[in-house]
Amino acid sequence: MSSSEAHAAAEHPHNPHLAHHFDTIEKQDTAVRLGMWLFLGTEVLLFAGLFLGYTVYRHFYHHTWHEASRTLDLGLGALNTVVLITSSFTVAMAFYFIKKGKTGACAGMLVLTILFALAFLVVKSIEYSHKFAEGALPGQFYHFNEVPGPGANLFYTVYFLATGLHAFHVIVGMSILIWVLVRVLKGHFSPSYYIPVELGGLYWHLVDLVWIFLFPLLYLI
Amino acid sequence: MENKVSKPAAPSSHGKEHAHGPGRYFVIWFILLGFTLLTVVTGRMDLGAANLPIAIAIATVKATLVVLFFMHLSESGGANRLVFVVSLIFVLVLMLGVFGDLLTRNPMSLPSGAPNFDISPESRIVPHP
Amino acid sequence: MSQSDDKPPTFPAVHYLNADRGVWSWLTTVDHKRIGIMYFVSVLLAFLLGGIFAMLLRIEHLTPEPTIMGANTYNRMFTLHGVVMIFMFMIPAIPGVFGNFLLPLMLGAKDVAFPKLNLLSLYLYWAGATLAASGMIMGGTDTGWTFYAPYSTSTPTTLFPVLLGVFIMGFSSILTGLNFIVTIHTLRAPGMGWMRIPLFVWAIYATSIIQVLATPVIGLTVMLVGIEKVGHFGLFDPTRGGDPVLFQHMFWFYSHPAVYIMVLPAMGVISEVIGAFSRKNIFGYKMIAYSSLGIAFVGFFAWGHHMFVSGQSVLDNGAFAAISMLVGVFTAIKVFNWVATLYKGSIAVKTPMLYACGFLFFIVFGGMTGIAVATVSLDVHWHDTYFVVAHFHFIMVGAVIMAFLAAMHYWFPKMFGRNYHEGWGMVAACFIILGFNATFIPQFLVGNAGMPRRYFIYPERFTSLNVASTAGSSLLAFGFVIIVFYMIYALVRGPIAGDNPWSSRGYEWNTPSPPPKHNFDTTPIIDRDAHSYQEPGEEVEHVVI
Repeated sequence: MSSSEAHAAAEHPHNPHLAHHFDTIEKQDTAVRLGMWLFLGTEVLLFAGLFLGYTVYRHFYHHTWHEASRTLDLGLGALNTVVLITSSFTVAMAFYFIKKGKTGACAGMLVLTILFALAFLVVKSIEYSHKFAEGALPGQFYHFNEVPGPGANLFYTVYFLATGLHAFHVIVGMSILIWVLVRVLKGHFSPSYYIPVELGGLYWHLVDLVWIFLFPLLYLI
Repeated sequence: MENKVSKPAAPSSHGKEHAHGPGRYFVIWFILLGFTLLTVVTGRMDLGAANLPIAIAIATVKATLVVLFFMHLSESGGANRLVFVVSLIFVLVLMLGVFGDLLTRNPMSLPSGAPNFDISPESRIVPHP
Repeated sequence: MSQSDDKPPTFPAVHYLNADRGVWSWLTTVDHKRIGIMYFVSVLLAFLLGGIFAMLLRIEHLTPEPTIMGANTYNRMFTLHGVVMIFMFMIPAIPGVFGNFLLPLMLGAKDVAFPKLNLLSLYLYWAGATLAASGMIMGGTDTGWTFYAPYSTSTPTTLFPVLLGVFIMGFSSILTGLNFIVTIHTLRAPGMGWMRIPLFVWAIYATSIIQVLATPVIGLTVMLVGIEKVGHFGLFDPTRGGDPVLFQHMFWFYSHPAVYIMVLPAMGVISEVIGAFSRKNIFGYKMIAYSSLGIAFVGFFAWGHHMFVSGQSVLDNGAFAAISMLVGVFTAIKVFNWVATLYKGSIAVKTPMLYACGFLFFIVFGGMTGIAVATVSLDVHWHDTYFVVAHFHFIMVGAVIMAFLAAMHYWFPKMFGRNYHEGWGMVAACFIILGFNATFIPQFLVGNAGMPRRYFIYPERFTSLNVASTAGSSLLAFGFVIIVFYMIYALVRGPIAGDNPWSSRGYEWNTPSPPPKHNFDTTPIIDRDAHSYQEPGEEVEHVVI
């Protein structure tokens, strides 16, 4: 019975983005979004293990971790938080603009987002180099005398692992946004097709979400 | 989902979004910055045991704003929301299960309660191939 | 629907197997059916590899003193056996082969939601499996498939390729689960509400949820083990303030739901087979569907039952024990519904049905021994003995592999358009079912008597039971060998089966066998329930198939 196909053909005579196994572009978009949210769910569960490690060892070594947390540079950490939140704002604006067909503005917002991501990485590497110089390193490399005692090295272990995995995701997210930017500049997107911009933005928001939790847990308590 | 026979209609992605201006993004951004300031200030204050719950609460509010408005989950289909919420629930399950263990274990089997903590790596037994 | 008696069965001229030619067309296909076939070949190779190591382990256990290998080699062999069987066979087998092949057909779709992602899943599986297998074989990994810290972080044997391989295979599993969930949500044919999807699809849905949520945790955990091995940061090292039991919590948080990734699709297969071979509407469709979700959900809360003697607190021990028993409730619901389906049905005694009946027997006894080991006071005695080994082999081999074989025989005509030789099928099934019992029942006894697992030697008094188990394993292996022969014969020279040789009411049988490349020319409309053999009140039709 072919009324479904005839209907689809009438509404979308030839949508080049419609895959053959989806009846309509709306269904395809719904599917793609659900797929992306599922993937974000897996990323949440991936970081869960590190948050668990954090929670466990903070519980064991409460006092030492409080001391160790004070050795992190709150100013730089707060700056990074502002940077990421603003980058989330700019990528949301990029999505808003492409839906309105304003390709130039969208590209501009994406450029800003990518620059903010770079700024985040630069600040992070400054913080890391400080820690390397002080000797506040994970595990056996730990020789930071200002915070002695059992559990201090574990703070820096969790710190480096969590922020390291996060930074890896920043790099991945940045790469995705660069690819999306290239396609925006090439004119691939329009108010009737913008889903890659949306999905790239969703991934970037997740990167921001993880940091929203990492920041207070590592720097503030 | 839908059971109509003649037309395989889907909840249109266009239909669910309201036409709104960019203003709401600015507003959310400012609110997020405000909460960041709040968490920095309260985080450096000594509030005893309340420090952690307050920090988590503020972070949760910020995350909720990002998820609902920047990620448009407030306009999204139910399946997407279910996916995200369920993944968060299972993170909590993981934490609860492990914490149930930690808080009620015999103190001797906890790392910080180990009697001789400073065992040098050299004195540990390494298996021979 | 069913083929008429006078017309000879037809074989389509063009179908998914011959639609495109050449190795490259296979390696770059996005056709879910071809991907399913490639998974089929791959998991069978993995099963062969894991099986060879199983046989070597059993041969070693013929005598109480070293028979053919020393202690270190034994450790390497059971590591290989475990990693290969679990990550390269059990986890991907039924979803990767039958899920991939059948899901779109059962839903009335032309493919899965993300066909290219599906191909990526296959590539990742190949990459991860090759890495892990070569790492273990060349590097002599001896940690066991459980990689417990602190041994895994200090073993001199090779670990990185294995950990990386497991991580990559995990990624493959996640992407497959993601694909299936989206497919089931968005590609059902018109008329197919949630309560009309086949029970195999419900099972795959529940499995996919577990795959998506649990697998990232093992990904992180193996990554941390690798980092620990290099850096010795102390996460799981008590000499640096860490907690080795934390590793166990993180490991089992995935690995317990993982066993439901293995068993749920098997249960889905059994629902399909029992319905078709008793020619009756499935009794309690909704209960079976919901119990799949129930097992997936509750299975996430039960991981601590692997850690009863690890130093875990008494509170957690009790909680995990109680929750683990809850899973038995959901399993029992299914078993009762299947038995009720069989009752007064028109039972066709064919090979898939034999395996399904074997499944029922093994899931009951495997499940009951599961409840037994979930009892903390008993598990203190049985932990790390052969009793536990026998319990999980009853489920993993007895239940899941019976279901895999049932699926293989039931859907062989669908996939290849030919029939296998029924007589040989039954002979092999008898060898396998009897051989399985002969292998693992002695292991319950010897484990209860105190024989520990993962030891290459044992006290003399356990000899006769070990010899019996090894003898049984040779029967089991022989059964598999028989299958290989008649299946290969059936592939090349089997009689044409026609579109629906079992006269099954499954939606997938509405297409030609083998199906065309794009499954359907036009989207089908679904106007009846799944597994519907009778109208309400109608008598069971007694036919010979």
